[in-house]
Amino acid sequence: MAELSYREAVAAGIAQEMARDERVVMLGEDIAGAGGVFKTTVGLLDRFGPRRVRDTPISEQAIIGAAMGAAMTGLVPIAEIMFSDFFAVCWDMIANEIAKARYMSAGQMALPLVIRTANGAGSRFGAQHSQSVENWAMAVPGLKVVAPATPADVKGLMAAAVRDPDPVIFFEHKGLFATKGEVPDGEHVDRLGTAKVLRQGRDVTLVALAAMVPRALEAAERLDRDHRISATVVDVRSLVPLDTQTILAEVTRTGRLYTVEENPRLCGWGAEIASIVAEERFYDLDGPIIRITTPHVPLPAADALEDHAVPSVARIVDTVVRTAG
Amino acid sequence: MDVLMPQLGETVREGTVSAWRKQVGDPVNHDEPLLEIETDKVTVEVPATAAGVLVEILVPVGERVEVGTRLAVIRVAGEAMAAATSPGARIVTLSSARPTVPAMPAAIADASPPDPARSSGRITMPAIPTAIASRAASRAASSELRLSPVVKRLLAEHRIDDPSLIPGTGAEGRITRDDVLAYVAARGGAVPAADRVVPMSRIRQLTAEHMVRSVATSPHVLQAVEVDFLAVDRLRAAAGDAWRAREGFSLSYLPFVARAVCLAIPEFPHVNASVRGDSLVVHQRVHLGIAVDLDRQGLVVPVIKDAGGKTVRALAVEIRRLADRARRGQLTPDDLTEGTYTLSNSGPFGTLITAPIIHQPQVAILSTDGVRKRPVVVERSAADGGDSIEIRPVGVLAQCFDHRAFDGAYSAAFLARVRAILEQANFDAELT
Repeated sequence: MAELSYREAVAAGIAQEMARDERVVMLGEDIAGAGGVFKTTVGLLDRFGPRRVRDTPISEQAIIGAAMGAAMTGLVPIAEIMFSDFFAVCWDMIANEIAKARYMSAGQMALPLVIRTANGAGSRFGAQHSQSVENWAMAVPGLKVVAPATPADVKGLMAAAVRDPDPVIFFEHKGLFATKGEVPDGEHVDRLGTAKVLRQGRDVTLVALAAMVPRALEAAERLDRDHRISATVVDVRSLVPLDTQTILAEVTRTGRLYTVEENPRLCGWGAEIASIVAEERFYDLDGPIIRITTPHVPLPAADALEDHAVPSVARIVDTVVRTAG
Repeated sequence: MDVLMPQLGETVREGTVSAWRKQVGDPVNHDEPLLEIETDKVTVEVPATAAGVLVEILVPVGERVEVGTRLAVIRVAGEAMAAATSPGARIVTLSSARPTVPAMPAAIADASPPDPARSSGRITMPAIPTAIASRAASRAASSELRLSPVVKRLLAEHRIDDPSLIPGTGAEGRITRDDVLAYVAARGGAVPAADRVVPMSRIRQLTAEHMVRSVATSPHVLQAVEVDFLAVDRLRAAAGDAWRAREGFSLSYLPFVARAVCLAIPEFPHVNASVRGDSLVVHQRVHLGIAVDLDRQGLVVPVIKDAGGKTVRALAVEIRRLADRARRGQLTPDDLTEGTYTLSNSGPFGTLITAPIIHQPQVAILSTDGVRKRPVVVERSAADGGDSIEIRPVGVLAQCFDHRAFDGAYSAAFLARVRAILEQANFDAELT
């Protein structure tokens, strides 16, 4: 085991796959010489050279179009969109072309590519550089969607995403880049479509994603310590495919579900989980399903306002205490 | 000020004035009982709606009045007579109060109105918070309003009819899942395995529908005869291994029963018939249905067409073929239609007697049940050595018939004929 930061784990995961498979290439803005604006690709240019680690012009459409063509013609590209907000610029190619190529070619074309992007709030970047858009991606049939919360999951799921034969949107959370954690030595490959139970409790189940995972964990500690409420915490990790079995099992054990979501409330991923639980485990529910989310607002740049908008540990604790009886 | 007939309940539209507590000229205080009204259910006092002098009684005792009728006039101190009797005086009754109350907070809108029987229909200021408080209290006390899905399920599974027996520890006294489980544990009951809900397959649903319709259509009568299968058994034994080697399956009792039925039907043609309105349609040909169990997942009745002229061997082969096709799901629609009489065979399971349900629109169905060796008294004349007890293979043939079509004597005679044919079993020539 080695302790890596979340951003180091990104580079480690990519390096593991580039070393394993020559077809794996990288492209994006400032990923090569600068090592990425979030320093997530430091060292890759030196190790794998400019043919495989390419800086691109400032054009998301160029990046995604090139990655799509490369994937169609035999490479396994990892494309970076610097901020997930910028998906809107190249969404036609992602949602209409990349996501549909296998289906519309009757399987003649597979697109084994990964689109990485920095997602989420916490850096005071304002309404156009702070959004959580994982619910955009999961709304498009044909895309797989992962959003890891820990360095170990970043590395393992990056490997799984690269090895997957279909397009995977890989959300890295800006607020987690500096966090650290143990990462298994040697080759580490995880599985898409698997959630992780991080903590098991008796009373309520908190289901969280990405930056909301450490907050849900801390909230669970406080609920236990200050309010004698015992909470299960599930890290969803992968939205598409979704590990419904794990989520349903954990909700069944406690009878209560809370989703902790950074995406704006309307049509957030928690709504989908809530509807699945309501359909399949209604008679195991001991109270209403509660979603703790960012409200349906553009994210403010002011630090106090941004902190207020995104679910905090205090808000999670308060909501559970108020409603769990 | 007018005193109006108050609304005494949600559905009460009128009442009868049963007594006046005050007479014209009496001074009255606000809320002092003024008169009594009888409804179908109760007698209620109507209080004065203002302090003053009762100046007019408009409705005598014994008269029925509708809600809103002017009952009396009270002259409020300082109020002129003319004003007191003028229409449109500002009287608030419950029925008219709702539209005149200005926009109210949600909590008040949610509260039930104050009990009209006691307040004579007027909403008074103090009554509103009281009503809200009592409503909230009763909601907290009555956990029935707040049972979660899992609590409802557990109550049903543990057959707890009265949830108020369970102390609720949740918010506002709500009964939680753990409360129910704790109650059950304290009561000493183990958690039973949850019942499974198995959706009926299509064939199950069709069978269910047909069975209900048949029982509703035909008055079923059951008759049964015991048959001594000794002669049949001798034929089966004689055919034995050669049959099995030749045909690939063993020779059971069923083809013999089928043959006996086909031979008996020409003598009793009405068992091979259908009811159509007020007529009995007697079929000239015998199309013999054979009920086949599909690995206990369902029942189908393929039909041997023109069974009347077929030998025991032909019937045996045909039964075998249809049963195989049925179990492989290879029956065609034609295989399942035109039946005129049906055999249902529970015999391999060793049943004693089965009362089958008629396959509509037929009028009779025969069950062949288990054949077992039994001690049988064989009657002979003294010259032949007298009665003796012998071991014989005996089985029951049970027929349910539609009593609309014919009567018990006809059915009994038919069964007796079938038994006689089987006990004689002159089928030696039919097995090859």
